[in-house]
Amino acid sequence: MNKIKTKDTIVNVFVGLSSIITIVALAIIFGYVFTQGKDLISFDLITKDYHARNYVAVIENDTNQTFEMPSFDDEQVYVSSRYGIALIQSQDLAGDSVIKVAYIDENSPFTTMINQDPSKAQISLEEDAVVSRITYVNHPSSLTNKGAQMMINDLNDPEREIFEVMFATTGGGIRGSIITTLYLILLTLAVALPIGVLSAIYFNEFAKKTKLTKVLRNFVETLTGVPSIIYGLLGISVFVPLTMRFTPASGSNLIAGALTLGVILLPTIIRTTEESLKTVSDDHRFASLALGANKTQTTFKVVLPQALPGILTATFLGIGRIIGESAALIFVLGAAIKDQVRILEPSTSLAVHIWSMMTDEPANIALSSSIALIILLIVLVLNIIIKLIASMWLKKGQV
Amino acid sequence: MKSLTRNKEIKGPKLGPFSASKTKRVQSPLSKSDSVVKVILSLFGFISASFIVFILFFITTRGILPFITNNNGLGSVNFFSFISGTVWLNGPTFVSTAYSAGFLIINTLYIAFLSLLLSFPIGVLTALFIAKIAPKHVANFLRTVIELLASIPSIVYGLVGVGLFLPAIYSFARSLGYSSGGGSGTLATVIVLALMSIPTITSISEVSIRSVDESLEHASLALGATPTQTRFKISLLAAKSGIFSGAILAIGRSLGEATAVSLVAGNAKSGPTFGLFDITSTLTSTMLEGLKETTGIDYDIRFSVGIILMVVILLTNFLLNQLKNRIGHQYE
Amino acid sequence: METVFKVRDLNLYYGKNKALNSISMPIYKNKVTALIGPSGCGKSSFIRCLNRMNDLIDDANIEGDIQFLDHSILGNNYDVISLRKQVGMVFQKPNPFPMSIYDNVAFGPRQQGIKDKKTLDKLVEQSLKQAALYDEVYDRLNTNAYKLSGGQQQRLCIARALAMQPEVILMDEPTSALDPIATQKIEELINDLKDDYTIVIVTHSMSQAARISDYTAFFYMGDLMEYDLTDKMFVSPQLKETEDYITGRFG
Repeated sequence: MNKIKTKDTIVNVFVGLSSIITIVALAIIFGYVFTQGKDLISFDLITKDYHARNYVAVIENDTNQTFEMPSFDDEQVYVSSRYGIALIQSQDLAGDSVIKVAYIDENSPFTTMINQDPSKAQISLEEDAVVSRITYVNHPSSLTNKGAQMMINDLNDPEREIFEVMFATTGGGIRGSIITTLYLILLTLAVALPIGVLSAIYFNEFAKKTKLTKVLRNFVETLTGVPSIIYGLLGISVFVPLTMRFTPASGSNLIAGALTLGVILLPTIIRTTEESLKTVSDDHRFASLALGANKTQTTFKVVLPQALPGILTATFLGIGRIIGESAALIFVLGAAIKDQVRILEPSTSLAVHIWSMMTDEPANIALSSSIALIILLIVLVLNIIIKLIASMWLKKGQV
Repeated sequence: MKSLTRNKEIKGPKLGPFSASKTKRVQSPLSKSDSVVKVILSLFGFISASFIVFILFFITTRGILPFITNNNGLGSVNFFSFISGTVWLNGPTFVSTAYSAGFLIINTLYIAFLSLLLSFPIGVLTALFIAKIAPKHVANFLRTVIELLASIPSIVYGLVGVGLFLPAIYSFARSLGYSSGGGSGTLATVIVLALMSIPTITSISEVSIRSVDESLEHASLALGATPTQTRFKISLLAAKSGIFSGAILAIGRSLGEATAVSLVAGNAKSGPTFGLFDITSTLTSTMLEGLKETTGIDYDIRFSVGIILMVVILLTNFLLNQLKNRIGHQYE
Repeated sequence: METVFKVRDLNLYYGKNKALNSISMPIYKNKVTALIGPSGCGKSSFIRCLNRMNDLIDDANIEGDIQFLDHSILGNNYDVISLRKQVGMVFQKPNPFPMSIYDNVAFGPRQQGIKDKKTLDKLVEQSLKQAALYDEVYDRLNTNAYKLSGGQQQRLCIARALAMQPEVILMDEPTSALDPIATQKIEELINDLKDDYTIVIVTHSMSQAARISDYTAFFYMGDLMEYDLTDKMFVSPQLKETEDYITGRFG
């Protein structure tokens, strides 16, 4: 008997261990992504461009005011109250010395400059930008290698008049990928929801139970077993040429990506919708028909509204899938990160952005983790929403 | 027996001869608008069902091209050496057509089954714990953990794989005296895929275990078996069909997983690779490899690899399902 | 006459509901004791106390005492597993395991550590013979148990219980899911078994109780109304309620 007890205990230890492993795995994944990515999370991250850009600009109006400057603890910060700007001696990602903007007053003349490119748009120097050079009229320029202190001294020199400012934004923002992801969600749902819901209505409400419908259903079901990379191949062989034919697109584009994602979502939407249609009691259908309504009215006015929670669930599941999808989009949309997003051009979603950075040399783990953190948080929220819908739906059914 | 309908005693309206034909299903006919709606809806149904056909058709036609066309003067790819060879490309890229994916097939299957070796016990035991052992709150907590693991996108698994597992495996290999490609390779891929498979196996197994007839478990306990013995010898046994299905699903997903694998596999150009610390590549990782800058035959050949991938997945699914049915009917 | 079970002031609660009220009665060795009474009277709950299968119900609570072979079985430290080896159970709906006939019967002994094939073979054959099933299945012991008919499956479950060589066999309405012929076979079986085993059987069939049991306990709404030799109770019941139930006026 004791032999049995010992055996049982050993077995149970393994059982407990397995469960612990799953908890640990989840903790490790969230933990890693959080610790690696949290530092970069900021409002800037979401609004900035990804690619670093160089600018040359001239000051539009030199107001001759003196600015109140805050005090800085850091010794490496140098202040110009004449221009309302503070510069700091810093390092870029590669380790080289650079001069960065530590602080800029909102009325500083550096906030209203004219970009010297053809657009002549208004442009502003912002915190964290790297100042490469300030050129002066009839005076030597301030260069990076002379250091921040020198540059500030030059700025404060009352005899000097600024000619041009050359600076660079640091990039590393994910605005482009966020916009791409939002576009994809909208376009994909716009395509997949109608087709999916209407197909589900057909299969569950209208179609007769013949061999043909069984075959059709099977065809839809087999889509779930197809790996997403294959959908990527479908996307470039069908949807990209299709969109190139009917739109001004000249290659990969967001619409083709949305169509591809739509096919990926289709089986889930159909299955979830069908399930929720099935939960609508036949009594409702009978009651409606008995009142003289025809099948269409019954289906769309009585049955469908009751199946709405299920459709909502399918929608949120779909959003989660879209945000997480990578392989298919890598093929259809490519992996080139864009700051200006156009529907008829390639771009990257958040997930593909990560892949693009991870396949660079060197891989940008910090930024990838930040994006991953954002993705995980969104997925978490979606999961909670889906659970809420499910529990509210159950409560409703108990009335 | 004579027909009773001709009984002249029956009063009331005269009923005509009964049609002795087949019974017809009584169904109200659809109104005109309903019929139109039905046709429109059926269109959507057909569209949905047609995508799988499109996938098979377009990928097969495009994937066959390298074998039967001249590839812009480069010559066609030999089909037999494609499926049997051990080196991805013999010769300069964009010029040579000596592609072979044979070793990739072996790698892909090898890695998928290895990862199942890891994920199956963990998944099934966790499912058993949730279904039969854990108190309600713990069970719900674990279920949520599993759901969360299931909803993590594969790119995040790949990221954690690169950031965490690669360095760990690298040091581990070094301490054992092995050299490894910075940690990339078979072991890394197997671990990442195993992690991704655990939620699938756990959730499907849990449902199967929970649906085992309680009476069987009671019978076992009434015979003096311990609860643990009952769980393993009876509950798991009765649920084995569902558990097997979960494993088949997990393997299918492992075979087709692309982004996570491509980040940790190491991109070996030849093979097959069996060493845990050696770099490797799979059908999917090869399809993704270098996608950012490629064109021509190097691009088209990925379709061919895609065909191979689909065939491998279909065959594996088929064979495993046959196996499952055979095991289910063991006592016939 | 030896007593196998002594039950004293047994109270059973499911949550706040009292299912058994101060039950006291003996179970005699090598006799068939039948428990009768209308649905919900507590007879099944009572029988489940005897092998502590009520432990499996979350909110079941027991007070009082049950002694098995002069040892109290209700303590928290009592080895329930070994109790169940000596007190076997057959359920209302036949529930063979999804295994072969052989493996079903050999299951109990195997869990106890018996591995020797010859020992198991003998045990299986012996148990199947005792359950009057051997002749029907001897040539297909390795086939799936689910292929047997309902009556055969129930006899298989009895064989399975017998393989543990228990002192007592508890039967919870073992024939209510079976046809009359299968029922008859099992009743004959019970008659043969009582020479070697003590049997407690819950039955909703008065005639069954009258046919096969030596002692009968009549339960009603959680109370033990009457307990007596079967012959006596069915001929001259003490209580009016007993008489009413036996004669079919209610239940």
